[in-house]
Amino acid sequence: MSAILLVAVPLLAAFIAILVKKFASYILLVVVLFNIILLATLPDGFVIIGGFNQPLGITLLLDTYSRIALILINVLILVIAYLNIKKYGNYANILLITVAGLNGLVLTNDLFNFFVFLEISGISAYLITTSNKKPASTFHYLVLGVVGSSLFLFGVIILYSMFGTLNMVDMIHKIQASNNYKELILPFLFMFIGLGVEAKLLPFNSWVRGVLGKSNTMSGPIFASVYAAAIAFVLGRFITNLFMFEGSLLVLVTVLLAFGIILGDVMAFSSTKTREILMYSSIAQASIIALLFVNGVVIWAVYLIIANALSKTVLFLVINKANDDVGSDEISKLKGLFSNNVIVGIAFTLSALSVMGLPLLVGFVIKINFLTELARNNQVWLIAVILIASIIEGIYFVRMLVKLWYKENNTINVKYNISFKIVFVVIALALLTFGTYSTPLKQLDNQIDTVMEVVNNG
Amino acid sequence: MIQYAAIILFVLGLYGLFTNRNVIKMIVSLNIMELGLNIFIISIGFTYDGVAPIITSSNGVGSIFVDPLPQALVLTAIVIGVGTTALGLAFAKSIYKKYNTFELGEVEEEL
Repeated sequence: MSAILLVAVPLLAAFIAILVKKFASYILLVVVLFNIILLATLPDGFVIIGGFNQPLGITLLLDTYSRIALILINVLILVIAYLNIKKYGNYANILLITVAGLNGLVLTNDLFNFFVFLEISGISAYLITTSNKKPASTFHYLVLGVVGSSLFLFGVIILYSMFGTLNMVDMIHKIQASNNYKELILPFLFMFIGLGVEAKLLPFNSWVRGVLGKSNTMSGPIFASVYAAAIAFVLGRFITNLFMFEGSLLVLVTVLLAFGIILGDVMAFSSTKTREILMYSSIAQASIIALLFVNGVVIWAVYLIIANALSKTVLFLVINKANDDVGSDEISKLKGLFSNNVIVGIAFTLSALSVMGLPLLVGFVIKINFLTELARNNQVWLIAVILIASIIEGIYFVRMLVKLWYKENNTINVKYNISFKIVFVVIALALLTFGTYSTPLKQLDNQIDTVMEVVNNG
Repeated sequence: MIQYAAIILFVLGLYGLFTNRNVIKMIVSLNIMELGLNIFIISIGFTYDGVAPIITSSNGVGSIFVDPLPQALVLTAIVIGVGTTALGLAFAKSIYKKYNTFELGEVEEEL
């Protein structure tokens, strides 16, 4: 058994699923389940493809970092696909391609191969947005996505012309040997912008409003949780190992991300639509995660990705289901949503409070730890930015929660079936458990990403 | 020199994308941008007086070969470009079907 099966099996299954459309949804569930089991059994290390050794051939790297990312991606796709099996069953083929693309994206150690997986996952993402029935927004996303990936490829090709390799480990070796960062600013900036489009970083994220702001029970959690987590993981790997921002580029990126945090939360604050509030909150969170990677706080950034993906799955599922049944996502139209759905309401509240970073929830443990790490790095301004953003976040989330809990004269009837409720309860319990018992979180450290270890020790 | 032409094409495509609101013209701009990028990629592998990297009776050890890797890369990039263009055209068709226009400015949809 090899890690290549994590990419090859979903791809093969996607083609088979076209032939047996009736069973496509079940094939998807079986394949994702197979991936999860495979991930539990595979050993760490490089997988050499085609018998060409590094740095000539394409290699895949499975370490603790990529294993965490892959488990999260596959489990979330399994859950979201299962919950939407009836309504969006005909998207099973596309979700299989998504699984292959995102798994490859996290695993690959080759920069051009990374571009190919970026395009595969991008094309499946455009197709998933067609479920929103907003073709102009989908087209807008396609255009920005293609420009982003083209810029990424431009950066990769410039690096190839400079160092003559596409293997990430080999390239880091050669960059370290050349010790001339000024020449790398342009390709790194192109690659960062390219990834920034998919990672929803400001100002490259104008597609998000048309996609997440109009999402449904499938596309919402897929974009806010699965894609966001996968891209955050790979962006983290690039920032930590390849980009290693310094000088003027570090200042530019830090300012962009700090603006992203504040602007995301301010836009969420000024919005009256629940989906938009969650969407802008996602933008702010994506910027915080990138900022943590820029400052070398890898492990807490990883935990933040996981906690954020789980919380956003609950938040988007609850709101999108309510939007489907009520026909509006305006907070004023959803007043009293939780008065008839107490369990769903509690899970939603716990998830929202975890994103805010309130005590007893995992979001608090993560926030306190990454703020401590930033304080150790003397990043006082960044701490101030994050704290100001947290206050704004607190206000708009509490305001939304109060309105969703207290009903007025109108009664809202939204029915969440048992499988939805089970998912909500499990995630809420997980957020609560790791918030009160955080010892397991401290077992891992910043060394989970082994690329630099491979570069230094061979 | 050819690299300047490639970069000009890339920037021209980008300019077209950001100044046009017509879906078809945007797809054409996207293709011009990709064309520029593809020419840039292929130019990376160029070697003056280089021959195709195939060992024959006349070209063997000691010959100067062009770098074959960018040629392989550009082939993949072209295929991906065709895929995204086809997808873009399919979306253009559904935009026209829904709104009876190709102009994004006339589409009643928040972007």
